[in-house]
Amino acid sequence: MATLALSAVTRSFQRRNSAGKRESFVALGPLDVRIGDGEFVAVIGPSGCGKSTVLRLLAGLDTPSTGLVEINDRPPRELQAEQKLGIAFQEHALLPWRSVEGNLRLPFEVAGVPATPARIGELVALAGLKGFEHARPAELSGGMRQRVAIARALALHPKVLLLDEPFGALDAVTRRRMNFELERIWLESRPTTLLVTHSVEEAVVLADRIIVLTERPGRIRMDVRVPFARPRPAELVRSAEFHRLVDELTASLEPA
Amino acid sequence: MKFRGFIYPTIGTLLLLCAWEAAGRNGMLGRTFPALSQVLRVFEDGPRGALLVRSTIATLGSAAEGFTTGALLGAAVAVLAHLVPPLRRGLDRMAVLVNALPVIALAPVLIITAGREGTPAALASVPVFFLLYTSTGVGLRGASERLEMMLLTLGASPWQRLTKFQAIAALPQVVTGMKVAAGSSMIGAIVGEWFGAPSGLGVVVLNSMENYQIPLLWATVIVIATITLSSYGLLTLGERAVRRRIGECDA
Repeated sequence: MATLALSAVTRSFQRRNSAGKRESFVALGPLDVRIGDGEFVAVIGPSGCGKSTVLRLLAGLDTPSTGLVEINDRPPRELQAEQKLGIAFQEHALLPWRSVEGNLRLPFEVAGVPATPARIGELVALAGLKGFEHARPAELSGGMRQRVAIARALALHPKVLLLDEPFGALDAVTRRRMNFELERIWLESRPTTLLVTHSVEEAVVLADRIIVLTERPGRIRMDVRVPFARPRPAELVRSAEFHRLVDELTASLEPA
Repeated sequence: MKFRGFIYPTIGTLLLLCAWEAAGRNGMLGRTFPALSQVLRVFEDGPRGALLVRSTIATLGSAAEGFTTGALLGAAVAVLAHLVPPLRRGLDRMAVLVNALPVIALAPVLIITAGREGTPAALASVPVFFLLYTSTGVGLRGASERLEMMLLTLGASPWQRLTKFQAIAALPQVVTGMKVAAGSSMIGAIVGEWFGAPSGLGVVVLNSMENYQIPLLWATVIVIATITLSSYGLLTLGERAVRRRIGECDA
């Protein structure tokens, strides 16, 4: 069980103005978002709107300037310390000296939980990398590395999965295939998920709900439900409803 | 390409050695510049050869002892500075101060504190400490931010981040530091021997200079250069192996 809540959150940063003086500017918010248990929410928005900041706040890597960020009514840092967060970044973030198996074992080692060969085998299968258990990241393709990173994020059955542009560095074909792979993987445990992405199509393929942020300071411009049933078939991306939703969302990204 | 990379330096070195031999035979550079063959004969000569072997063992021992102590201390203090940030500025300054003291000025102080026999190793450890403190610190801090964030979100403690990630990612830098430090430890040990050590290559250098044993002096210099170059070469191989094993964190 996990619910995510951002209440009246803002995040300000320092910058130098044209006179060379330091001043603070609001990069994000005020923002109120509630994400229910088991919900898959995608956040899209123009570059610099602070969508990655939302993810960093929920990951406990950053703190809001004002307002409150909570997971299950508790600060994200506490869940982080209890190893209840799974996170995957745009770049794979694998330890280059460890094999696929070694990287998948890392969350268990950090948590002090025994990594049974059976569980590691499951995760290898989840990543679709049977036969590559002993390969090092440098020997894998970009898509394979990213699958390892996602499998690792899911290793300890996290309550919350945070995905920051996980397929941003992949080519379009691989990316599309990975989207459906991710849905398959996600359906197995259904953690509450926040996906930050540039790709409107990716958001529509994957999410139950899409939040569109405005330009800086990022606020909610739209909050729409995605009506398609799961598991979503590959033909979905050729349907008229899919394209109507993508077009509507893309239009909402244009500057007002 | 590979062949050329090998053949050119070999030809160059041989030419230089021939020039040395010729210059020495003709006495072109004075009596203190003997021919190479004359220098090499020292190694075949029983008593002088044995003296060089004994002295090499003594100096290598001091250098190795100083290298090990300095490297372990330097790396350990760097880890301490990394784990306890308030200490870092003070430790940085201390390391810079230690490095700023000329080895030659430090020696008399060490003679009083470490004794004549302990001074070579102590003096060898000083530059090694500084180099390893610096390179380990750079390695620990230079670890990829992306992997750092990944470990934070996994809930890793500072100690886990150090042992599972930062320390391993820092290894190539540490070995590079060791590569440079190996030569410095030889210099430290030899200078340390000048202040009254019972034996060692530094002692041979001084004695042969004072007694005008020119070929022996040159032979000792060749031994020292060979040790320094081969330790550098060996650690370069080690460095390559470590880099290959660790891989690129940001690849």
